[in-house]
Amino acid sequence: MFQTHDHDPGTPTADRQAWMALLARAPVRLLDAALADHQDTPQWLRQPETGLMMVQGRAGGTGERFNLGEITVTRCALRLNPLHLNAPVGVAYVLGRNHRQAQLAAVADALLQDPAQRETLALSLLAPVRQHLQQQQAERHRRAQTTKVDFMTVAREAAGAQDEDTE
Amino acid sequence: MNALQNMVAGFEHEAYGSQAVFRIALQALSHPGRPLDMSLNMAVPRGGHAAAAALLLGLLDADTALYLSPSLAGSDAAAWLRFHTGCSAVADRAQAQFIWIGQGDAMPLLQDLRQGNDAYPDQSATCVIEVHNLHADEAGWRLQGPGILGERTLRVQGLAADFADQWSRNHAGFPCGVDVFLATATQIVGLPRTTQIISKEG
Repeated sequence: MFQTHDHDPGTPTADRQAWMALLARAPVRLLDAALADHQDTPQWLRQPETGLMMVQGRAGGTGERFNLGEITVTRCALRLNPLHLNAPVGVAYVLGRNHRQAQLAAVADALLQDPAQRETLALSLLAPVRQHLQQQQAERHRRAQTTKVDFMTVAREAAGAQDEDTE
Repeated sequence: MNALQNMVAGFEHEAYGSQAVFRIALQALSHPGRPLDMSLNMAVPRGGHAAAAALLLGLLDADTALYLSPSLAGSDAAAWLRFHTGCSAVADRAQAQFIWIGQGDAMPLLQDLRQGNDAYPDQSATCVIEVHNLHADEAGWRLQGPGILGERTLRVQGLAADFADQWSRNHAGFPCGVDVFLATATQIVGLPRTTQIISKEG
């Protein structure tokens, strides 16, 4: 699962990184359910736009960086209360081309920056999303387990086959 | 609290807005010395002249390096340009492709900016300088050069006193040299390096 190590946990930056990472992977249906009261058009700082981003990887996490491939990303930035210049700004980057998903994730980011709303939204949105992602990961893990090959057995069989050849 | 606290939106419509600005920039450079009204159908940040901000919003992109004069460097305008265009802000003006000089800030010597070279004269800097006022006025400069039929007059208020001297040196270096836009709050004037100032202000 995605982890950030740039900031110590517990700082405001790390908290925000944590919830933005969750929001980026939250399915629209969960966002919709939790944000039913915030569906009106926000003040856009950057309208949702779709583009490509290069994903880089390191072999084994330590090797030279290489370009893994491009992914489709939609991003946006908005302010919830247009009359109030200092209202928090919500930013979202999500995989895929769903502008609505990006908008809802940014709305959630803006709301979470408001200490008065954080508790409620953490319960109604972040907890279900976390649960959903855990389930998803468990399901993937289960599916992967069914394809697991015990290499010890293969090695023994191969050794046995060699013995047969020499006989 | 974060860096986006005072951020405002950019062009109302990105494609039409930047096309309108680009068109005005082209007109300004093809009719040197003619004051043109800048299209301002966008939210502009605090700090800096709106016309200068709009011009740079239309011209900059992620591959350009921008130098900001001291009064602009920490302003909302700088954050706004970086957010919407993805340009990089550089502290060394000799590296910058675009220079934005706020009103009241000392103008760097034009000779210190990127001049391009004989093979690539296009790799020079473009300098946006904020001024008080721009008028087509007999009392000011007389301009000559490509794009001007005969002569054009232009009076600029709020520009460094030695600008005309620096400009003649800049013009002498053709094909190298910088191009300048002068900007008030609502208007811009283009001064490409081909334009000659033949009488000094005064």
